[in-house]
Amino acid sequence: MKIIVLLKRVPDTEAKILINQEGTGIRKDGVKFVINTYDEYGIEEGLKLKEKLGGDSKVTVFCLGPEESTEVIRTALAMGADDAVHICDPALESPAPFTTSAVLAKAIKDEGFDIIFCGKQGIDDDTAQVQGGIAEALGIPQVNIASSFELSEDGSRALIGRRIEGGNEKIESALPVIVTCDKGINEPRYASLPGIMKAKKKEIRTRTLADLGFDEMPAAGRSKILKWLPLPKGGECRMVEAEEVSDAVKELARLLREEAKII
Amino acid sequence: MTVEGIVLVVLFAATLVVFGFVVRMLIRTLLLGKPQGGFGDPLRRFWSVIVHVAGQARVLSQPAGLGHFLIFWGFIFITLGTIEHMLGMIIPGFSYTAIFGSAVAGWISLLQDLLALLVLFAIIYSLYRRFIIRPVRLKIDDPAARNEAVFILSLIFILILLMYCIKAIGIVEGTIDESYAPVSRIVSGLFEGRDIDLGLMESVFAWIHHLIIFFFLLYVPFSKHIHILGAIPNIYLRNLGPMGTLSRMDFEDETADKFGNSELRDFTWKQLLDLYACTECGRCQAACPAFLTDKPLSPFRMIHRMRGHLTDERKRLLNSAGDDIEGTPIIPETVTEDEIWACTTCGACMQECPPFIEHVQKIVDLRRYLVMTESRFPSEMQPVFKNMEVNYNPWSMGYSTRADWAEGLDIPLASEKKEFDVLFWVGCSGSFDARGQNISRALSSLLKKAEVDFAILGTEEICCGETARRMGNEYLAQTLIEANIETMKKYSFNRILTFCPHGLNTFRVEYPQFGFERPVIHHSEFLLELVREGRLPAGAVEIKKGAYHDSCYLGRYNDIIDQPRELIKMIDGVSLSEFGRHGKRSFCCGAGGGRMWMEEDIGKRINEERVDESLELGVGDIFTACPFCLTMFEDGLKSRNIENIKVLDIAELMVEAYSAE
Repeated sequence: MKIIVLLKRVPDTEAKILINQEGTGIRKDGVKFVINTYDEYGIEEGLKLKEKLGGDSKVTVFCLGPEESTEVIRTALAMGADDAVHICDPALESPAPFTTSAVLAKAIKDEGFDIIFCGKQGIDDDTAQVQGGIAEALGIPQVNIASSFELSEDGSRALIGRRIEGGNEKIESALPVIVTCDKGINEPRYASLPGIMKAKKKEIRTRTLADLGFDEMPAAGRSKILKWLPLPKGGECRMVEAEEVSDAVKELARLLREEAKII
Repeated sequence: MTVEGIVLVVLFAATLVVFGFVVRMLIRTLLLGKPQGGFGDPLRRFWSVIVHVAGQARVLSQPAGLGHFLIFWGFIFITLGTIEHMLGMIIPGFSYTAIFGSAVAGWISLLQDLLALLVLFAIIYSLYRRFIIRPVRLKIDDPAARNEAVFILSLIFILILLMYCIKAIGIVEGTIDESYAPVSRIVSGLFEGRDIDLGLMESVFAWIHHLIIFFFLLYVPFSKHIHILGAIPNIYLRNLGPMGTLSRMDFEDETADKFGNSELRDFTWKQLLDLYACTECGRCQAACPAFLTDKPLSPFRMIHRMRGHLTDERKRLLNSAGDDIEGTPIIPETVTEDEIWACTTCGACMQECPPFIEHVQKIVDLRRYLVMTESRFPSEMQPVFKNMEVNYNPWSMGYSTRADWAEGLDIPLASEKKEFDVLFWVGCSGSFDARGQNISRALSSLLKKAEVDFAILGTEEICCGETARRMGNEYLAQTLIEANIETMKKYSFNRILTFCPHGLNTFRVEYPQFGFERPVIHHSEFLLELVREGRLPAGAVEIKKGAYHDSCYLGRYNDIIDQPRELIKMIDGVSLSEFGRHGKRSFCCGAGGGRMWMEEDIGKRINEERVDESLELGVGDIFTACPFCLTMFEDGLKSRNIENIKVLDIAELMVEAYSAE
């Protein structure tokens, strides 16, 4: 079975995020990048499936991102993925979700696939659109925010669980399918040292837009990020003090009406 | 030579041959282990054998050890008698009197007679301890361990009784001078004037006695009494360097598919010799914070079971031609995962062990295999490793916030200063933990007050790697260690100052393994130095009673015991009390060996055990010199709902002493 896992390189959750001066992105100095947390669940689910099936099943990582993404790709390879396709092109510095979906879908199609796992969303921009875009472009079903996954006994269909308000949902899907994983579906493994050593020798195939047969940016202009803006500076806290509580309340009301102009 | 003599010689020779084969097998078993060298300094080693074998120094550090001391020396004198008697059977007319003269022989006889009596009492007391008192240190879930001890003690008991009878008959027959055998003289009353063939009786007693000795020689290597053979070389070969030092692993070989120890052959031969050396005295477990709080770990049982495993495995391994057969994994049948993760690496076991067995390194070696090769460890450790990898600290705090505690305090950065006297290593706790930050601020204010030429690394500092190393993640630890060395090499400074004993130990003992050596000083030593030099006043506080708690890595590992106490005593108004368990025998707070970041859901919490001790003794406030100990005490007091006891780092105490002025 050809198992595809997608991964995105995102800033670490603890990193201090600052918008750059031009408003075209975030400042990258002092920011550590890691595998998107939800994609780790996707990798783990792919690896678990491979281990269960054995034989010539194979897990291939797909990642679209800058050159530095090889670091996170190696982490996925160290966890146990077999090889990787890294789509890296200067034109794809800050692609819109439509573009990312179209490019990834093309690369996945070229590779051939039976099932795709990925995270339910990127923890950086939280669009959660790429997965749907890929499903659409490949014409395959998509099950989002999966909390469990298994193959049917004959291996022909996917059985996916989802947590919904007040209960669980069981979904059966034809293959191939793209499954987006939620926290709790598994516990992603910690790469073993032999895994890390082996990962150094595993193949990462780099693809540019041209390699994938795109003459121009796919889906360009369907949506684009206009500008990144820093959060407005947090207001200052002012304590309203008075001898009597009732006076303090009066003063607070006056301030809210006259200065803050919100009542 | 008499027929009896010939039979004895033949039997003795046969026993020796068999014994020789057994010893050869034992040595071959040891050689299954990996090589280990570094056993130089023979003079110090011989002296150590005199102190710890002849002098039984560690055995005697507990009252019950006197029993062992007596049995040890008693047995040696009894054996002198045995040799005399055997030679007498082989060479007619042989006796010590004939060789050395009556004075020397008399003294040997007298000592033998008296010591043997003491041994009898010691054995009776040992049995009493094993059956009636049942002290915590002799507790083990394997009944064979106790049965073996009882069997051996009984054999020695019988040997002594036989010896008395033989000597008593000698007195009756006039071959032994009764004035040098007061106990035997009393026994001789049994045989005096009876109508029996005393010669035959003596001969029967002697044969039983000698056969027991032969049996003993062959039985010893297969019982816990193998320590008679193992302990002496183990004490000679003991680690003379700093305690608990972990071996440096080599990650050069990228084709390796195994890291750390999973089976016996992964240990060094010296580590295997440790297993032969165990006397099963249980001092280790009686000091072990994990064992005393009902965790599954007992260092005693671990060694006992590993030796059993060695016995089970050796035949198979010795018969195989080389490395081509799989060794049986030690985990989980011999030692369980819960056991090895329960260890705080506090080193109390190693501190107590009379034959100097090193338990902690074995535990970390086993952890290394589980963590690095199998990726198998308590799930709460994974975020800790990941945080260390990404943000270089065990907490999930952004690495760029490491120096936030220093904001507005005008603390010099190494990157700006380049050259300075003291590098203040803040550490992860001092950088990210709220209380740790408070210690950082306190200490830096003291440094400024004393006009110390110091700097911090700021965001260039990363986790020192100590915790990762003890959690078995040597690969991660080495990544951190190497990065820190790179950073420190950029600057010119004379010494490293730290208030974290874990950092202190790792810089002092482990960084040199990676080619970085620099004097390291703990803030308790440094502050004391500053006060003594008059660069800091000692200050005064309002009347305050408190006890100083020794951190394992400060006291036991690095022998910094008096300095913090002296510093505290210099502050006016403080009256220093003591824990029952203190100094080298201090009781761990429960945070070492990575336990700080792990769940503690089996048994009683170690920090609560320590807090309870402080409450029972009524020691007052708690003074610490380790940020982890401080956290553990605060947590323990909180869970006991105690609010009127304060936990203070010594630097905080000093700052308080100034603000009170």
